[in-house]
Amino acid sequence: MPVRRSPQKQTRKLSWDKAYTKELFRRYRETSDESVRDELITMYLNLVKYLASRFRNRGEPIDDLIQVGTIGLIKAIDRFDIERQVEFTTYATPTIVGEIKRHFRDKGWAIKVPRRLQELSFRVNQAIDTLTQRLQHSPTIAEIAEYLGVSSEEVLEAMETSEAYNFVSLETDRGGEGSDSFSILEYVGKDDALMAVIDDRTTLSAAFKKLTPQEQHVLYLRFFEGLTQTEIARQLEISQMQVSRLLRRTLRVLRENIVRE
Amino acid sequence: MTSDQITLTVPAKSEYAKTVRMTAAALASRLGMTYDEIEDVRMAADEAFVYASDTLSADANIEFRFTLNEDGMEIDAVLGVEEPGSDEDSDRSVAYATFILESVCDRFEFASDENGAHLRLFKRAGGIDAG
Repeated sequence: MPVRRSPQKQTRKLSWDKAYTKELFRRYRETSDESVRDELITMYLNLVKYLASRFRNRGEPIDDLIQVGTIGLIKAIDRFDIERQVEFTTYATPTIVGEIKRHFRDKGWAIKVPRRLQELSFRVNQAIDTLTQRLQHSPTIAEIAEYLGVSSEEVLEAMETSEAYNFVSLETDRGGEGSDSFSILEYVGKDDALMAVIDDRTTLSAAFKKLTPQEQHVLYLRFFEGLTQTEIARQLEISQMQVSRLLRRTLRVLRENIVRE
Repeated sequence: MTSDQITLTVPAKSEYAKTVRMTAAALASRLGMTYDEIEDVRMAADEAFVYASDTLSADANIEFRFTLNEDGMEIDAVLGVEEPGSDEDSDRSVAYATFILESVCDRFEFASDENGAHLRLFKRAGGIDAG
């Protein structure tokens, strides 16, 4: 995939200037001018590099990852709908990461999370929901450990297993320990009907559906309107901590989609 | 409580991200932080690590200094190099780190001193209840 560097080196401090990006997309949609597309590719090449770097030290040359990531970027540029109320960076990230992961999958790359930890992770998540309701605040690790009858260390270990942070676990064993267990990745991108029966978190659209309208609104105010957390809190008449929590949840969904597709 | 300091030095390789996250989480738990706060700490530690390892070559080391106070935890990531160059790559890296850190930390700053570049961040304990 030929990627030409734009002749004029970007002088813009932040070359992913939102308004300028929109303008370029508008021009590209109207004129289908290849040079505009090239400029977009150049502008967002660093996003590809950044995302590719998150998968380095996984046995694949970084240049290869950047190359497949760039394919994802080009797909995202061609598919991006400028009418959508989403930033291009947000839109492109899962596509780029998807290509990179596909590359790993094609190389037969896989690591499994131990089943014991998966189960504990699941119980910890349930305990958090229960305790948050009961205590009317986010529980401490000690409270979760006591509720489940496990040690604080085990709770922390289970949190570490939660998918959002597992850049390593491209593949999750959803079956038993037997040879008939199957992998989510075998199904990704194959069939929408099949996708529906798998864990919600495996698709981007499903992931966005998991955000409440309020969370979507907060995300919008924070990253489109550029309001601070305090400003958002005032506008929505909620506490700044609630805003922080809402934002974190949406970020986590983004993160999960950096890991999974 | 007097302020305790814990120092962790790891190679700038992605497989050590987990070590940094888990150390940060364990220390945050010592402060009695809630699950939500610890999730923030983990994300912040992760972001600091990714930012640091993006800046350094894989054979370099990153030093994480955790300071535990009554009011919260400071994480000081010492990159041990000169101020990273301000090319497009590092701009992007900074912008990304900023994007995440703004949401999960109470304070953070990029700084540099005679030891090189730092990324310092602070997470308050007990913020949920106060909110």
